Amino acid sequence: METRLLHIFRNTPLGREVLLQSTYFCKTIGVQPMIYIPEFIKFLMYFENDVAQIDLDSSYLTAPETARAHAIDIVRSQGLPEPEFMEPKNFTASTLPDIPVNFDFMCCPRSISDLSSKIGLGYLGPRVRRIVQSARFPVLIAGSVFKPWTSVAVMFGGSANAVKALKLGLRISRKSGLPLDIFTQLGKHTHDDYQKIIQQKHLAKDIDQQVRKWTVFDSGEFAENLYDVPHDALVILGAYGHGIIKEMLFGSVMEKVQSTLPNNLLIVGPKYQAAM
Amino acid sequence: MKFFQALKAGRFPSWRLFFHFDDRLLLISIGALVGSCSGLAALALNRGLITLFELLSHYRHLWWAFVLPGIGAALSSLFLEKIMKEGAGHGVPEVLYSVSRYGGLMRFRSSFSRLISSCLTIGSGGSAGPEAPVVMSGAAIGSNIAQFFSLNDRQRVALVGCGTAGAVAAIFNAPIAGLVFTIEVIIGEWTALNIVPIAVASVFGAQVCRLLQGNQIAFTHLKFNIDPVDTLACIGLAVATAVVSILLTRALRLSHQRAHHIKLPIWVKAAMGGCVVGGIGFFFPDVLGEGYHTIGSMVEGTFSNGLLFVAVLVFAKIIATAFTLGWGGSGGIFAPCLVIGSFTGLMYHRFIDILWPGVTWVNEGCFALLGMAGLISGILQAPLTGMFLIVEITGGYEVILPLILVSAISTTLCHSFEPASFYMKELVEKGHFLRPRTDARVLADLSVEELVEKDCIVVPKDMKLGDFVKIMQKSHRNFFPVEDEHTGEFLGLIHLDDIREYLFDPFLYETVFLEQIMDTQVETVGLDDDLSVVLDRMDAANLFSMPVVASNRFVGMISKATLLDKYRNELIVQTHH
Repeated sequence: METRLLHIFRNTPLGREVLLQSTYFCKTIGVQPMIYIPEFIKFLMYFENDVAQIDLDSSYLTAPETARAHAIDIVRSQGLPEPEFMEPKNFTASTLPDIPVNFDFMCCPRSISDLSSKIGLGYLGPRVRRIVQSARFPVLIAGSVFKPWTSVAVMFGGSANAVKALKLGLRISRKSGLPLDIFTQLGKHTHDDYQKIIQQKHLAKDIDQQVRKWTVFDSGEFAENLYDVPHDALVILGAYGHGIIKEMLFGSVMEKVQSTLPNNLLIVGPKYQAAM
Repeated sequence: MKFFQALKAGRFPSWRLFFHFDDRLLLISIGALVGSCSGLAALALNRGLITLFELLSHYRHLWWAFVLPGIGAALSSLFLEKIMKEGAGHGVPEVLYSVSRYGGLMRFRSSFSRLISSCLTIGSGGSAGPEAPVVMSGAAIGSNIAQFFSLNDRQRVALVGCGTAGAVAAIFNAPIAGLVFTIEVIIGEWTALNIVPIAVASVFGAQVCRLLQGNQIAFTHLKFNIDPVDTLACIGLAVATAVVSILLTRALRLSHQRAHHIKLPIWVKAAMGGCVVGGIGFFFPDVLGEGYHTIGSMVEGTFSNGLLFVAVLVFAKIIATAFTLGWGGSGGIFAPCLVIGSFTGLMYHRFIDILWPGVTWVNEGCFALLGMAGLISGILQAPLTGMFLIVEITGGYEVILPLILVSAISTTLCHSFEPASFYMKELVEKGHFLRPRTDARVLADLSVEELVEKDCIVVPKDMKLGDFVKIMQKSHRNFFPVEDEHTGEFLGLIHLDDIREYLFDPFLYETVFLEQIMDTQVETVGLDDDLSVVLDRMDAANLFSMPVVASNRFVGMISKATLLDKYRNELIVQTHH
């Protein structure tokens, strides 16, 4: 079955950059972009056990008459055929469409509810967090300026979500032919513990074959160590893998990464079903 | 959260018997919690309405008081649109939609948004009722508690029902009406799995209400001596209530359509509608607000105005309700139905009293009660709800015989003219109203993606017929999709029946290419198409299978045989308890 990426298009310069990132991602790993041009300022996403209302900022409704043509131009400029456009079929209320959630990826800017002028690095909107928490698909958080990536970097901390992220990283590396690097910050676990997790999950062989370098930080602050992550890498990481209370107390790795790295991020939530 | 998930998974042995052995116990326990919370929500709205009404009562006699409903409706609309970011309306169709399509998934904000907005609309004098907002609130509470416990779709729907029942039971102090309304209107499925927790929730909702504001019935309990002639006269009343129900339904829809075509911000439209209501209320104060006080005086027989005035009130209340709800105010139609129904009953009583002055009719209050039942049954097309609600809110069974007669006839007549009830009309028109165990519901839970058969051999357009014959011998299929070798684009289909004449002529094997004999006018299916639509297209074209194409690429075939297999499996899943 063809894999598809959902992209909510905004017809602005920032929206153009985000769609360029999406299209590049699709081209690199062979995914079909599916574009939604919103007609209303809000929509619903019904997940398996949650319903998220996404309230868009008003810039998503900019110049609807040129939006479709612009989106086609951007996708074609990356050498892909004309994209499919998604028209919502179901409406919870007359101005509240339901967007399907049976996609393989979804692309979001760091926030989709706040005006682009308010969005900075380190700010991840509540709607985007909700999507990451509930979706079965990974979410591509695109940077604000288009930048092709030439390698894949996985943040591996040993949690169940990190294993899922690693599996996804291996798949993307295989599909794109780009090198894969792993980054681990040692905490209470040793390097051997991580190796054991890899053995238990039967990933050792794949890692031996595909991983270019496994960087283990055994000292220093995690945020400082992130400087070693290549600037032109697609960074893949798991999110919300430690439970709400623990993350409230000690902070989330995902939050640290997204507030430090300007790279494109591919975030794997707790509901994502990893496939090799 | 993890604790509850572990609890559910039966990791604590002592709890295993209680929660894991039979999930009905789990549902009953959580249902009681949901019923109590819904009861509290209903009570909060009730108190809010009383407070606002008392606050504004000092200004009602002033000449500018007609703008009060306008201000209330505008604030209510602004609150929903700008703060809550929800649409206007009473919300019951949203509950039905979520139960039909998404196993009762509802947003958390819906558990309180309608309470506040309807309080503003009704408290300021808008002609609407608090019941539908409370239903939405209760349903959302049930849904969110179910989400918290990570329950499955079926259990979640039952808890949505628990929320609804608890709310209705609390707002009317009528537990049986809460149960019956939920099963008849919201869930649509009379099974023990649903009925037991919903009944418990209903009890808890009503009990919370009784604890906090006393065990009061809405209207005074009166004894009526009903003769056969009164029962006979009820047939005419049923016809009258059916006519008024249809009028109200159409007035609401017309008003909504008219307002929709006016290009003004929604809060301005709500304010305009509210001012019209305020204007009507200036001359006929009985049309303002929920109107329970007016109903009370009619039931007690102290409403002294004449036939013509009551007839005018029927139309004034219909217009006021249409302007309140159709133009963007927030609230439900339950209370307006009760008011209009009692006006209709009173009007009918006075009419037959003039027509047959020699007959001793039962007290006019009885006809007011029967009129309420007739209107509720007609508008909601839910006769049991109409009957039990009236029995419970008046505290007596004396009127049960004519009540059944009026409810049954009114529902039947309304159904002839309006096949779908007020709550369901829009959903039915869009094909979103899917009751459990129906064909549409089973098909809605299946997707094209689940049914795609991928064991087809795709052939290139420039393949020679001879090569194709060799491939054909290895396949058990009659269909062969053809695609462009370079672009992967789907070009057409080869069906063995269509090319049989070429297959037996070896001379053509080296001279004919597939491109020349393929069928290019093929009906295709998309991955996101609804199965009911796909099935209709198959029937219309007399096809047994169709190619599934996405982004101009062949994905697989979909056939009626596979559909039947999956349909059966899905039916077993949906009907298994």
